[in-house]
Amino acid sequence: MASTRYVPAILVGRAVRFIARLRKRDGGSAIPGLVVNRIAPGLLPHALNSFPDGLVIVSGSSGKSTTTKMIVAILRAHGRTVFTNPSTANISQGLTSALLEKASVTGRLSDRMAVLEMDEGHGALVARDLDPHTVILTNVMTDQIDRFFESEQVAELLERIAERATGTVVYNADDALLAELVDRLAAAAVGFGAAPDVLAAAPRGLGYARQVQSRPRATVEVTAVHGRAATLDWDGVSMTVELPARGIHYAVDAAAAVCGASEVLGPDFDATIAVDAISTLEPVFARGEVTRVRGMPVEFVLVQNPASFQLNVDELDPELDQVLMAIGSDVRDPSYFWPVDLSAMPPVTVVTGSKAHELALQLEYQGVAVGALEPDLATAIDTFFALPAPKHGIKTVIFSADSMRRTRTHLGLA
Amino acid sequence: MITILSVFPELLDLNGDAQNALVLAQRARWAGWDARVHNLALGDSLEGEAPQAVIVGSGAESSAPRVLEGLRALEGSLRAWSADGIPLLAVGTGWELLSESVELSSGDALEGLGIFSGHSVARARVSDDLVVDSDFGRLIGFENHAREYRAVAGARALGTVVYGVGNSLAAEPRLEGEVVGTSIGTHLHGPVLAKNPGLADYLLGLITDGRYEANNATAERVDASAQAARNQIAVRLGLAAE
Ligand SMILES: [Zn+2]
Repeated sequence: MASTRYVPAILVGRAVRFIARLRKRDGGSAIPGLVVNRIAPGLLPHALNSFPDGLVIVSGSSGKSTTTKMIVAILRAHGRTVFTNPSTANISQGLTSALLEKASVTGRLSDRMAVLEMDEGHGALVARDLDPHTVILTNVMTDQIDRFFESEQVAELLERIAERATGTVVYNADDALLAELVDRLAAAAVGFGAAPDVLAAAPRGLGYARQVQSRPRATVEVTAVHGRAATLDWDGVSMTVELPARGIHYAVDAAAAVCGASEVLGPDFDATIAVDAISTLEPVFARGEVTRVRGMPVEFVLVQNPASFQLNVDELDPELDQVLMAIGSDVRDPSYFWPVDLSAMPPVTVVTGSKAHELALQLEYQGVAVGALEPDLATAIDTFFALPAPKHGIKTVIFSADSMRRTRTHLGLA
Repeated sequence: MITILSVFPELLDLNGDAQNALVLAQRARWAGWDARVHNLALGDSLEGEAPQAVIVGSGAESSAPRVLEGLRALEGSLRAWSADGIPLLAVGTGWELLSESVELSSGDALEGLGIFSGHSVARARVSDDLVVDSDFGRLIGFENHAREYRAVAGARALGTVVYGVGNSLAAEPRLEGEVVGTSIGTHLHGPVLAKNPGLADYLLGLITDGRYEANNATAERVDASAQAARNQIAVRLGLAAE
């Protein structure tokens, strides 16, 4: 396969990347990937199918970034060299750009294996030409940012990715749509999930479009979650990991990663190494991240879709007395958040962001007290951090992705 | 006690449309009335419930046949309430299933209950702001539908489209929604009554035989947020603020 077929396309791509960087100092543009995919559509699948230890694809409605980062960390801690992709909207352009960065001129990468995060839509298209050894499916959530896909359509797209697996499909055994999908596959399937009492502790379930009512034990089960500590049972071996943020959904991501890594590594999988790898991960997103701002501890909670909104709000301490909520222009139509029940939330001290008025409407109708309404985010942040330390808990900021970026910039955080 | 019946909210709350029931109940409470929302799940019995208003939200297309079957089981009650002037607000697929027929993306058509006059026919998806001039003031919201609504000639629309598509691009003037007696069908999805308190208060007037009044501190504060949200959208769309 070490042919010279893709040399011209890669050289063109590198030239385009060079020019793109001259014009735009931060580089990283999608244009080189676009150009290369146009002139050599076979390059991407060629490169991705060439890893000697195979390819792992992670897909599903939510949790795929965390799961991908966890499994990459576990594999690297086992001494494997792993190629992985930054999460991006257009997987094929993003991947091709990343490949141009690292591949030899014949289109090969030096890494032994790859773990790639793919969204359902682009993933189903890209995966047509791929032969992944392992496919990991996290879940099918009811509500997504891209809600023009219905759950059944999402499951169909995931099935197309799963059909490509040459080895094993690792799936969330609590997710009924995934369990049904896996039944139709020829490949071997291994499940992960949460034990019944862990699921019962989540007041509204975990947001799956449909949850399995009862099932046999899964290969990896979450058996307990206390704050950021989670206990997993891996085929009778108990593993206690520190999660990158608190919440049952992160524990389930850890179960997915342990299940996936043990499939990929086979007898080489070492539970102690896996526990260390997960426990030393940096927080994946700001969601649930505790940091210090102007000398005070603050918790940042990122809201990405109604399901994560509900889960995160349900985990808030109802006695918190300093909460800022910011929803920005990235949420095109905030009515999409109205099915989220905010009624058990602590009072909100400041409501802000370009969608502040709409958010205030939802809070008011759901009976949550609203302190100040200040649409200007910078002003609201300054007001909020100028308040004395809260009487109960720590300052808590709940924001959409756009507001998160603006908040971090305003506060001078990376 | 005012009872607002929310029909199958577990299936018909795609964009928070079922929350219009909460909006009515809260506004009634703020004005000093006792009010409750009765969430009627698919398959549950009405047990002689006599609501003062009915909300039917919008759901995923895949659930439409099940929802239709559930609505058929309520058909007698829905018709009797409508004859009694009990207001009904139906949004998106909920409205379409209460009309004559709905064409699904598969090409199959479902025969609706015929409480509204129109036929819904598949078209390219519209997903954008929708502004309508109506008897209840300017209505502002969001439309997200892959069907157009063809009302019969002479049907009464909810209003005239100022921005957006509404029932159909082909009609001139461009109309939105349908009003049959005290029943209103619309593409304005989500908590349309929260953002358009004028429409909410029209329904509350019907619910209370004209005794409802919105002059309380909570409603005034909340409606100021609604006004700010409405004006923000209007200005973004190049329309005058109110
Ligand atoms: Zn506490």
